[in-house]
Amino acid sequence: CSFLSSEMRFHIITAAFLWAAFVESRKIRGISSSYKRFYRERKSFLCIDGSKIIPFEQVNDDYCDCADGSDEPGTSACPRGRFYCTNLGFRPHYIPSSRVNDGICDCCDASDEYNSHARCQNTCWNLGQKERAYVEGQMKTLDEGLRLKQQLIEEGVLLWREKQAQLRELQRAAEDLQIKLEEHRKRKHEADRLKEQTLKALKAGDRGKAPSIFRTHFKTFAHFAELFQFTQLGRQANKLTILHLTHLKIARLCLCAASRSPLKIPPYIWRALFGNTRGAQSQQRRIVNLSDLLFCLAAEWEAADLKKVEEAYETVNMEISDLQKKLEIDYGTDWEYLFLNGQCYKLKVYEYMYTLCPFNTVSQKSTAGTEVSLGLWGMWAGPAKNRYSQMVYENGEPCWQGGSRTTSVTLTCGTETGLRSVKEPSKCQYIMDFETPVACQPVLKQRGVHSEL
Amino acid sequence: MATFTERMGPVLLLWVAVCLSGSWAVDKGNFKTCDQSAFCKRQRAMKPGESPYRALLETMELTNTRLTLQLINDNNKVRLLLELYRLQGNITRVKINELKPLKPRYEVPDVLIREPPTEPLSLLSQDENGVVLSLGAESQRVIVSARPFRLDIVEGRDVLMSLNSRGLLGFEHLRMRKDTQADPEAENKEGTDPANPAETAKEEEEKVEDGMWEETFKTHTDSKPSGPSAVSLDFSLPGVEHVYGIPEHGDSLKLKTTDSGDPYRLYNLDVFQYELYNPMALYGSVPVMLSHNARRTMGIFWLNAAETWVDISSNTAGKTVFGKMLDYVQGSSETPQTDVRWISESGIIDVFLMLGPTPRDVFSQYASLTGTQAFPPLASLGYHQCRWNYNDQEDVRSVDAGFDEHDIPYDFIWLDIEHTDGKRYFTWDPHKFASPKEMLQGLQDKKRKMVAIVDPHIKVDTNYKIHNEIRSRGFYVKNKDGGDYEGWCWPGSAGYPDFTRPDMRAWWASQFAYDQYEGTMENLYTWNDMNEPSVFNGPEVTMHKDAMHESWEHRDVHNLYGLYVHRATAEGLIERSGGVERPFVLTRAFFAGSQRYGAVWTGDNAAEWDHLKISIPMCLSLGLVGISFCGADVGGFFKSPSTELLVRWYQTGAYQPFFRAHAHLDTPRREPWLFGPENTALIREVIRQRYTFLPYWYQLFYLAYQTGEPVMRPLWVEYPQDPATFALDDEFLLGRDLLVHPVTEEGARGVTAYLPGKHEVWFDIHTFQKHNGGQNLYIPVTMSSIPVFQRGGSIIPRKLRVRRSSTCMEHDPYTLYVALDNRRTAEGELYIDDGHTFNYEKKELMHRKFSFANGVLSSVDLEPNAQFTTKSWVERIIILGASKPSMVTLKTADGENQLEFDFDASMSVLTIRKPGMNAGADWTVTLQ
Repeated sequence: CSFLSSEMRFHIITAAFLWAAFVESRKIRGISSSYKRFYRERKSFLCIDGSKIIPFEQVNDDYCDCADGSDEPGTSACPRGRFYCTNLGFRPHYIPSSRVNDGICDCCDASDEYNSHARCQNTCWNLGQKERAYVEGQMKTLDEGLRLKQQLIEEGVLLWREKQAQLRELQRAAEDLQIKLEEHRKRKHEADRLKEQTLKALKAGDRGKAPSIFRTHFKTFAHFAELFQFTQLGRQANKLTILHLTHLKIARLCLCAASRSPLKIPPYIWRALFGNTRGAQSQQRRIVNLSDLLFCLAAEWEAADLKKVEEAYETVNMEISDLQKKLEIDYGTDWEYLFLNGQCYKLKVYEYMYTLCPFNTVSQKSTAGTEVSLGLWGMWAGPAKNRYSQMVYENGEPCWQGGSRTTSVTLTCGTETGLRSVKEPSKCQYIMDFETPVACQPVLKQRGVHSEL
Repeated sequence: MATFTERMGPVLLLWVAVCLSGSWAVDKGNFKTCDQSAFCKRQRAMKPGESPYRALLETMELTNTRLTLQLINDNNKVRLLLELYRLQGNITRVKINELKPLKPRYEVPDVLIREPPTEPLSLLSQDENGVVLSLGAESQRVIVSARPFRLDIVEGRDVLMSLNSRGLLGFEHLRMRKDTQADPEAENKEGTDPANPAETAKEEEEKVEDGMWEETFKTHTDSKPSGPSAVSLDFSLPGVEHVYGIPEHGDSLKLKTTDSGDPYRLYNLDVFQYELYNPMALYGSVPVMLSHNARRTMGIFWLNAAETWVDISSNTAGKTVFGKMLDYVQGSSETPQTDVRWISESGIIDVFLMLGPTPRDVFSQYASLTGTQAFPPLASLGYHQCRWNYNDQEDVRSVDAGFDEHDIPYDFIWLDIEHTDGKRYFTWDPHKFASPKEMLQGLQDKKRKMVAIVDPHIKVDTNYKIHNEIRSRGFYVKNKDGGDYEGWCWPGSAGYPDFTRPDMRAWWASQFAYDQYEGTMENLYTWNDMNEPSVFNGPEVTMHKDAMHESWEHRDVHNLYGLYVHRATAEGLIERSGGVERPFVLTRAFFAGSQRYGAVWTGDNAAEWDHLKISIPMCLSLGLVGISFCGADVGGFFKSPSTELLVRWYQTGAYQPFFRAHAHLDTPRREPWLFGPENTALIREVIRQRYTFLPYWYQLFYLAYQTGEPVMRPLWVEYPQDPATFALDDEFLLGRDLLVHPVTEEGARGVTAYLPGKHEVWFDIHTFQKHNGGQNLYIPVTMSSIPVFQRGGSIIPRKLRVRRSSTCMEHDPYTLYVALDNRRTAEGELYIDDGHTFNYEKKELMHRKFSFANGVLSSVDLEPNAQFTTKSWVERIIILGASKPSMVTLKTADGENQLEFDFDASMSVLTIRKPGMNAGADWTVTLQ
């Protein structure tokens, strides 16, 4: 290229530079930098979907040529087009082409209203500031939230263990009670049998046999006798009236007497039992009557005892199933939501007081004072990637036109735990916002404000 | 919104219990049958052919403009005065009143836009049997027969219409009550009539029937201080088999005969969950019936605002198609004939016979009497999003944002009764709507608007300014004992302002001023509901008939009440802008003339397929009687629609004049984006279609405003000679040029649309496929299909750049859709103005005509004296049914240039690229 003078060379370079500057100044409106390659200045333009080739002058000429709208990124000509707001200092984003020059400022850099009456200001820097402050705040909240969450996780694990231990304890107690229960069942069965026998014998009129049965089963009764302290009771017995004695006590008193001398009932006991009116009756008859009484009372006593044990057993089992049910609920991967179970959170919205007891109930109380159930714990209902972001409570009080009240609770990250808002977008369908550190997710840390061209 | 809320008072509970006890639908027992309405029963018991009325020809007086004549009832000797007028535009008016009524009878004011101008009448002949008068140029005559009295309107040798031909004229004269001491003056008066001394005696013989002086329905007693006062008259329409109109009923377009059941009833009522396909009264009444056959269209306008029943019978109704054919083949004796009979409880007979002969003539005749459709603000033709209720400002904001997020346009968001402070209209709930102006400004920033409800029942509460003012001014309707009438409605105990009083209306209108109605600004408009009026604990859920509007009983004015509420509100909106801005007011109750004040909707419908179907005949019927701005709640008010029904309803509603989605408080949310992305896309698409057609809708409304022609019209209006169109009501026309056959069947795979006009062609607006007219066309459909056709021979301007709201589209360019007919011609119009002021009255408008012929498309000015400039231009011309040109040239005042074009040979569609001329310019585009 020696035949070109240096001066010429200079001109060419200048021209090239100017041309480049010109091309640069004729920047295609409404595209992002990643799309610039489709819009390089040539003779013709190929619609991005490849459907059509048009002269390059028809790009952004306010007429829609390409079915995909790619020839009009900067105008409102294409029905399904999109316009790129660069928004330097804030976040870039796309808006539908229909918002270009519609008199409403959409892009904070005002780039969408280049030919309209709208007097748009560039607010990107302000927005960016605000956004940065907001994001900073969010980050702080998130950090604090995550820290608190860690604590709650640890507490959750402890709580979980505690509950597990409690469960084991209960289960042990249940086992013990079961053994006891069987024992009592056996005893009651035996007592029932004796009662039957005695009754049969009495029916047959074989009175003589009764004392022998009594003697035969002396051991059984002696066993009862061990259960209390005779002497003490015996000493007090003369102060008692029959009305004050339970059949159990009577049985015990009689038994003790019998154990010492089966044929002789101490007169003070007799008096206590039957009063003085029957003093004339023979000893023999007294003993027979007493033995009859004893068998009947023993059976009843055993039944009452069995019932007590059964009740205890039932209570323990109920506690076990309650606890199991509670522990069956999904409290998150680290049992971080466990602590919410058992708590209640309140919020007043207009004339209503709302109460959310997580994993249990939601209710609404009007200032007039009637409480209405808005649902019972149903399930987690967040999207697959974040199941724990939403709870559903179902089967609340029925509604006027069928169906029942339901509440959907959205969990959001915050440094405190509490109910933040309640809405009823449709009748009987409630939406709550519930803030808690355990809803904080590390993934929430998102990209900051960009400052690219 | 006829249902209750759970917060309503205990009085309502009983009513609701009644509603709930039966199956879903209306409890018919709450509303009267003809038999339960004493005057209807009495009048219907009259036998045809025994008319006691005789015309006293010797009393005839004929001036240039009016004929008067006395009629006598030979049974009781009471005399009536007949007045007959020939009105301009082929209308005959017949008025009958008592010659000497005991006290004045009610004549409906404020419905006619002026005293109708008359034309000369002349006497043709007269003898002792009758009189023949000429009705002007069209060889029309009216024959007055004397014994019995009868009127026949004759053109050439054809009888067009006969009055009292069956002898069912009934006129209950006002009388003194017999069981009370007769007032001596009245006796005196009767005695002074020298003509018939026997009169008094005769009259006394008349028996007093039940229900003449008192009537009880359910627990309500009507004290009837004036006694019997009903009027009725029969009309025969020879050669007529199809009659239409007399809305509002949930029934087919073609009215049915009523011999086997109740007559059609006109009595504005708040009907809870109305049933379809029956003649029961609904929220509004327009006492106008149209008759049609292949030769002539006519109308009967019965100007009476009292409870009215209309009986229809036909001599061919019972006949099968075969039977009719047999008659035809055999040249059967009997010509088809429809007989109609109107019965009203009070007032006078004042009837306008609109003699056509074309449908357009009848529209313009009726318009000349009661006016035309108010020209609405352009934005009100967009999409309206309503729900009972948007709960608070945050709710409004988030629904508004939802539309942007899903890129769906809308113009108006609505607030129902819950927005008020305890159902005190003209107020805002202090917590939920604490800063309404802020909310309105937020909408304004997006060029959107809001409607808030203002009902006419006023909470009785001494801390409520509106109530105190109305009470202290004495503006409330009074009860029969002279105290303020009180009834139950949404706020509990409520008073009802007497809207029949001009001073009351003026005061009401003044309440809409920005400094009176706090928290309002110019993008807030109004909705009048419950203006039948609805009174929850009143007879038939409305006002007692013996309540008093100054000197008139509610009985006389009932059907007018809603019109007056609507009117006062619309006037308020006009006044607040200093007369500059067009109002937008929606009403539920209406009467003849309500079209002048705004839009109506078909009330509290339900989310059922039948309710979707009925929206077509209901709006068609309203359109025929002047009320063009009609719509049904999209989605159905009560109950919850299936997704399919909701989508189909949007597709139908988008092609009906008033396009608003609405839902009951107890139904789940149903904003367009709540049914999955596919359905959101379907709904978005159809709302966008609506917006692309806004220029056409606007032009049709301008036409309706100018001429009274309905926007949405039955096919027979445009194809009056094609009997196949006479009963069609599952499809309709918008203007002349768009034919719409919505899909209204669940699970439909296809619809059969009738394309009218043997020589017409129709283009599918989506595929541009061409179909011949005069055939039933089967159209396979999917969920996205909305069968709509553009008539060959028409040019429709559209705006394809659909934006957030109609206002955002103001300056956008047009695409002209030129659909060629078989002669390769087409015509169309374009109307533009500022879209929201009354300046069009000052000719600040642009009205252009497009025509295509001989390969040249041109635009000429239809209003050269008008002045308006637009920024809008023509971005595209699409010619359907074209052949490929070699060159396309645009010629404007600036010169000539060649245009690029694209030709799709498979569909014969020529697309002319970016001609670019201003929409207001004169231009031609030549295809060579």
